[in-house]
Amino acid sequence: MSSLLKVKDLEKSYVTKSLSGSRQEHRVLKKISFEVAENQILGVVGESGCGKSTLAKVLTRLEDFSAGEIHFAGKDLNSFSRKEFPHQIQMVFQDPYQSLNPRKKAWEIIADPLFVSEGLSRREGHERALAMMEKVGLRPETSERYPHQFSGGQRQRLGIARALMLRPKLLILDEPVSALDVSIQAQVLNLLLSLQREFQLSMIFISHDLSVVKHISDRTLVLYFGEIVEMGPSQELFTSPRHEYTQRLLDSAP
Amino acid sequence: MRELFLELFKDLKKNKGAFAGLWVILFFITLGLLAPILSPYPPDQVVDGALRLPPNSHFQGHYFLFGTDDIGRDLLSRLIYGSRVSLWVGLSVVLLSASLGTFLGLSAGYFGGWVDRVISRTMDFIMALPSVLFAIVIVAVLGPGLLNAIVAVSIVALPNFTRLIRAQVLAEKNKQYVQAAQLYGAGAFRILFKEILPNCVAPLIVQASLGFSEGVLNCAALGFLGLGAQAPTPEWGTMLSDARSFLESSPWMVNLPGLCILVVVLSFNLLGDGLRDALDPRLKNRT
Amino acid sequence: MLLEVKNLSVLFRTEVGPLEALRSLDFALEEGETLGIVGESGSGKSVTNLALMGLLPANALVKADQVRFAGQNLDLNSQEQLRKLRGSQIGMIFQDPMTALNPSLRIGYQMIETLQRHLPLTKAEAHKKAVGLLERVGIPEAEKRMKSYAFELSGGMSQRVMIAMAISCKPKLLIADEPTTALDVTIQKQILDLLVELQKENKMSMMLVSHDLALVKKYSQRVQVMYAGEIAESGETQNLIQHPHHPYTFGLLKARPSAHEGMAKGDLYAIPGVVPSLRERPQGCQFHPRCFRATELCKTQAPPVKTSSTRFRCHRPLEAP
Repeated sequence: MSSLLKVKDLEKSYVTKSLSGSRQEHRVLKKISFEVAENQILGVVGESGCGKSTLAKVLTRLEDFSAGEIHFAGKDLNSFSRKEFPHQIQMVFQDPYQSLNPRKKAWEIIADPLFVSEGLSRREGHERALAMMEKVGLRPETSERYPHQFSGGQRQRLGIARALMLRPKLLILDEPVSALDVSIQAQVLNLLLSLQREFQLSMIFISHDLSVVKHISDRTLVLYFGEIVEMGPSQELFTSPRHEYTQRLLDSAP
Repeated sequence: MRELFLELFKDLKKNKGAFAGLWVILFFITLGLLAPILSPYPPDQVVDGALRLPPNSHFQGHYFLFGTDDIGRDLLSRLIYGSRVSLWVGLSVVLLSASLGTFLGLSAGYFGGWVDRVISRTMDFIMALPSVLFAIVIVAVLGPGLLNAIVAVSIVALPNFTRLIRAQVLAEKNKQYVQAAQLYGAGAFRILFKEILPNCVAPLIVQASLGFSEGVLNCAALGFLGLGAQAPTPEWGTMLSDARSFLESSPWMVNLPGLCILVVVLSFNLLGDGLRDALDPRLKNRT
Repeated sequence: MLLEVKNLSVLFRTEVGPLEALRSLDFALEEGETLGIVGESGSGKSVTNLALMGLLPANALVKADQVRFAGQNLDLNSQEQLRKLRGSQIGMIFQDPMTALNPSLRIGYQMIETLQRHLPLTKAEAHKKAVGLLERVGIPEAEKRMKSYAFELSGGMSQRVMIAMAISCKPKLLIADEPTTALDVTIQKQILDLLVELQKENKMSMMLVSHDLALVKKYSQRVQVMYAGEIAESGETQNLIQHPHHPYTFGLLKARPSAHEGMAKGDLYAIPGVVPSLRERPQGCQFHPRCFRATELCKTQAPPVKTSSTRFRCHRPLEAP
């Protein structure tokens, strides 16, 4: 399996200037290196402040990084044009209430990437959106509804549908099921797995929920204050962890 | 969209003040639109000798329901035509200040940095000066007249819209649906107009309603000072000014235009408050 | 028996008519015991807590055949009675510590206020006691912390402060409503271990409410599973986990990823459908639209309460494995 994403010595710092003029540097990511192969799911676990959300933002180019290299499909991440990039990497967001524009209809939300990136007509976009809605388990009759008329789980499905419209190669999921009830979580996780198989996606699955990450990911990395303290095949990592922080996480989980 | 309006109407009905305000405004709009039909006389027709007649006067075959002014013009007709002028004034002010204010607010909120600094400090400057005073200065520069008065009042009203929109943009900018749009390649303008702006409509409507009344009031103030509508345009503020010296002898010349200003401004304020209550918590409860 | 609740129901009067939030709840709690209450959104678990404390909004209609607390009859509609109990005999900690503490008052002020309201202490005595409590819940530099504001503390710290306030008057019952949902997993364990310690020290009973079944089962002696305003199943933790009778309990246990250990990365067992909203409560059994064992009877008749190793509401419960 070839490497789809290669991250080497990635660093990200925030600089804050206080009123007195002194600069304070806050290092969020410290020399992170890891790889994601094609058709592989990488789990990322860590607690608040470990940098996992920042990592997601850097990989999706929503934020710049301070140092290091990121290569995607053999090219430098920054070399992709603004038109090409959305077809490479996409993201599913955490908050089902915030990640959809409350003023847009369901199909409009899903089809918008097509309008922006491929210049499709409204009718074509509508058709493709309906097809995708069915794929993610939503009834096409609900396509004219607004986000507030859907449940949390259904909204996450909309977010997943939107992310897949441009057929990205890598899907980054930032706590995609954390805000959902347990029974709905299972539904969405099943959906993600089946979509991964169908679209041959690679995924980076960020979560604080160890049992979910263990279930869904092939490999996992553990972040602690911006550093990778352990990384390896999920089964191994969760049954015989080598780093004491990983052990502590496992012990704490009920 | 239609359902939104129907629900809005239902909510407004609950607020008696806002509902009353709405009907009053509609009444004045009708008055203004149908002025040529409803008004017994043309607004600038002078009847010789019919000077400062009190309300309910008959004179040489004419009947003046609200009396006449100091030149012999029917007050009722001038008030009716005056509503046309005032409403047009209010609308112009709102359209001008809302559109420019929204544009500035969007830019300041989204782009931040020096764009935000320049725009915000300019708005601060405008707000620091008493509104009528500043309007007077602008009119003094541009020259008196209703059109210039509208421009001046619009400038004075700008910060209301700019700050409102800017605050909304700042709140929405970091939401995940905006990030999602950035991720699939939407540019700044598309995001501003297609994603963020539709979510700013509610406070915009409220502010527009309140801005209407402010616009009418400020133009009336300028008119009163002789800097707004010029004779013989029947504008309520100018009518007030013309009647100043006759406050004791012919109070109806002052009271009636003043009452009109009061009622219209109050109605818009009540409507605006009602809209605010109807629109904002609604949107938050919609989960 | 510390708390006994018989036939509790809560109705909300709304513009669209009366909405039934809770229906005929029966449950009890012994002294020193932890009752775990599991439910997803819309199950009514938070409404139950608020009803017990008398903290529901004005449009709520609370009815119960009987509520007994510490040997006395309790009228859930009597604000007078409840006010005397709130804070002193019944304490509550909420989900989001950041918003549960008053942001414009210092921590110390809030704690002293609570103490002085229920106990005959001077300000100095209350201050000393407050510092002691903060130390007990593991806050370093407690004396200094008394002067802090809520926003200066981390999530875990704020929760500890809230716990300190809740137990300050040594209540007999502590209601913990999703106490660790907003916290990291390592902090979660610390908080729950702390609660268990305090329980033993003060002989306190606890109602641990959460959507996290794993958490509830680890820390509770008995568990109550709520669904759509009713108790679907309740019983001793071991019994409920090993042999659930109600299909919903079974589904919850099976839907967890950890239930698939050792198996291939196959599909998780997922309960189909969604929890009904307050307006869309089904006829008959509340769970039947999502139940894999539903029959015609389930669609029309509300199931009676049956008892075997656990207590449950079901026409066709799961038999012994």
